[in-house]
Amino acid sequence: MNPGSNSIDLTGKAVSNGIGIGSATILSTKSTTVRPDKIDQEEIKSHLQKLKDSRNLLLSEYEQLRDESHLQSAKDILEAQIQTLKDPEVKKRVQHKIESDRLSVGYAIFSTLNEYIQLLETSGVKWASDRAVDIVAIRDEWIDVVSENRREITMSKGDVIFAEDIPPALMVKISRIKVAAIVMEKGGDTSHAVILSQSLGIPCVINTHWNRYQVKKGMLVIVDGLDGHVIINPDDQQLAQYEERRERDLSRVKESLKWAKKENLTKCGKSFFLRANVEFLEELPKLTTHGAKGIGLLRTETVLFETTEFDVKEQVEFYSNVLKETKNESVTIRLFDAGGDKLINDKSSEANPFLGWRGVRMLLDEPQLLKKQLEALYRVSGDFTGRLKILVPMVSRLEEIRALKLVAEEVRDELKRQKIKFDPSIPIGIMVEVPSVVMMANKIASQVDFFSIGTNDLTQYTLAVDRGNEKISALFDSYHPAIWRMIKMTKDAADEHNIPISVCGEMASKPEAAACLMGMGINDLSMNTSAIPNVKAVLCSHTLKELNELSDRVLEEDELEGIHKLFSKWKFKE
Amino acid sequence: MVRKKVVVKNESGLHARPASVLVKVASGFESEFTIKMYGYHVNGKSILGVMTLAAEFGSEMELILEGSDEKKALETIVDLFETKFKEEN
Repeated sequence: MNPGSNSIDLTGKAVSNGIGIGSATILSTKSTTVRPDKIDQEEIKSHLQKLKDSRNLLLSEYEQLRDESHLQSAKDILEAQIQTLKDPEVKKRVQHKIESDRLSVGYAIFSTLNEYIQLLETSGVKWASDRAVDIVAIRDEWIDVVSENRREITMSKGDVIFAEDIPPALMVKISRIKVAAIVMEKGGDTSHAVILSQSLGIPCVINTHWNRYQVKKGMLVIVDGLDGHVIINPDDQQLAQYEERRERDLSRVKESLKWAKKENLTKCGKSFFLRANVEFLEELPKLTTHGAKGIGLLRTETVLFETTEFDVKEQVEFYSNVLKETKNESVTIRLFDAGGDKLINDKSSEANPFLGWRGVRMLLDEPQLLKKQLEALYRVSGDFTGRLKILVPMVSRLEEIRALKLVAEEVRDELKRQKIKFDPSIPIGIMVEVPSVVMMANKIASQVDFFSIGTNDLTQYTLAVDRGNEKISALFDSYHPAIWRMIKMTKDAADEHNIPISVCGEMASKPEAAACLMGMGINDLSMNTSAIPNVKAVLCSHTLKELNELSDRVLEEDELEGIHKLFSKWKFKE
Repeated sequence: MVRKKVVVKNESGLHARPASVLVKVASGFESEFTIKMYGYHVNGKSILGVMTLAAEFGSEMELILEGSDEKKALETIVDLFETKFKEEN
């Protein structure tokens, strides 16, 4: 088909496994610029027509999207956009600018909406200035439509998506279409797009500088989510080779899915729990097919971003949907963990966001947000007694736990006054992800109901390696002997105070690491749903004695290389 | 023409969600709907107009309706303000 010399081979960072083959679709995030061009008298009519057509087109798209959306919060956002398009004043002003000021339709929309944006931004009222971004979004999209320079958001099943970065709301939309693969220029291991592609099993490669090589819509692309290769215009041989690999991968997944149905017992009959890390409702159906036992980490950043002022009702709806769909299993809900790349409406940038105002630090400073989230969780708990657990992120000192518990008590007292049914004994546990907590684990264990180790952040903070920094990314290795020792310390402290301990970091999703954790006695692991079958396969096919031996030897190692050597036999093989 | 003064009773103000409810309900009536606040006049059927008022808890505003169904419209809209746009528990 294509001669080999035409193919372009790019490399990036593989973040979601699998082979994707499909035709390229480019999601551009650059908006069209408009100038205050004057139009002629005879052009007025066509510009007015364009205004009408563009408005109708966007309205029908938004209405369809609203009707198809499962999330009330998403529906509300779309409803607000629809009302803006229908706004009679906006219509009047834009028409006036076209007819009397002889401005082009694009510029008329631009300047009209800018007047409102400016009013909102300078209103001095937080909720109003927050909404300005929504008007900016609709302004840009509308201008794109009238300039016939639409940013690509139409994509079909089987496409390979190329983007600079993908915002969460768009990612949800993409998740409903079965795309073949995603290639991003930016993105980090923990960006929403990456997390969602992992849990949906969409191959994904990030940090790929595809822009430099004229990728065009419709070009055939192969994405290798294991090695991070992106091949544009592959030759016949490459295509055949990857198609074969894709088939092999698919049959392997099928094979590993057989494990999903097995009982959660080691070869010698010791039980373990593999749970799912979840962020979106769309991920839930996969829990059953992959054998997840409830949710070990429910992320709440996106749902809270999508609410209006962290509205309690909208949150309640989301949590209860999650609890309904997970039948009788437990669901551990992590409180809003903004920070780093997930920062919430904070325009002041921090020099070190990962060492900054995030997690519980931010929550204690923003009691409105914290109280509303706790209120929503307690309200939901009434109908799901004994199934919720609250997980507090980014704790670095004991005082933070005490302060948070006081707020929880206030919320409970208020609900009691209002005679609302709730579960008074929801366990409150913490993420163990800051070294200071590990050092104090013994004291802290007496103050909390459970520990959950977040291995990614713990690694970053312990090894002093910024995991987003490409120059030192090789130094970011969770298998560092120091990390294993910290996990052991945390486990010992939990045992001493008889509290449950789990691991919800990326480490748990690697079969070899999961085997070692199980050997150390941590039998509660939470991971991307896709990873569960392979982890289960390893745990089911070994005895506890074998796993103990592995963990004992890992804990004796002083060097990374030794640990990798020990693990080499345990890694998942084809 | 009918008019009446109302006060925003929602604790977080007339933010996006109640503003959306207000505009939706008002648009269902034929009457022209103007909101007067601190000397500003906005079209009560315009979501952006209502939002740019940035009305906070306790803000006072005057509702002015004019048209064939003005009485019924005023009554319905005043009721929305009274019931805090049915958004709080």
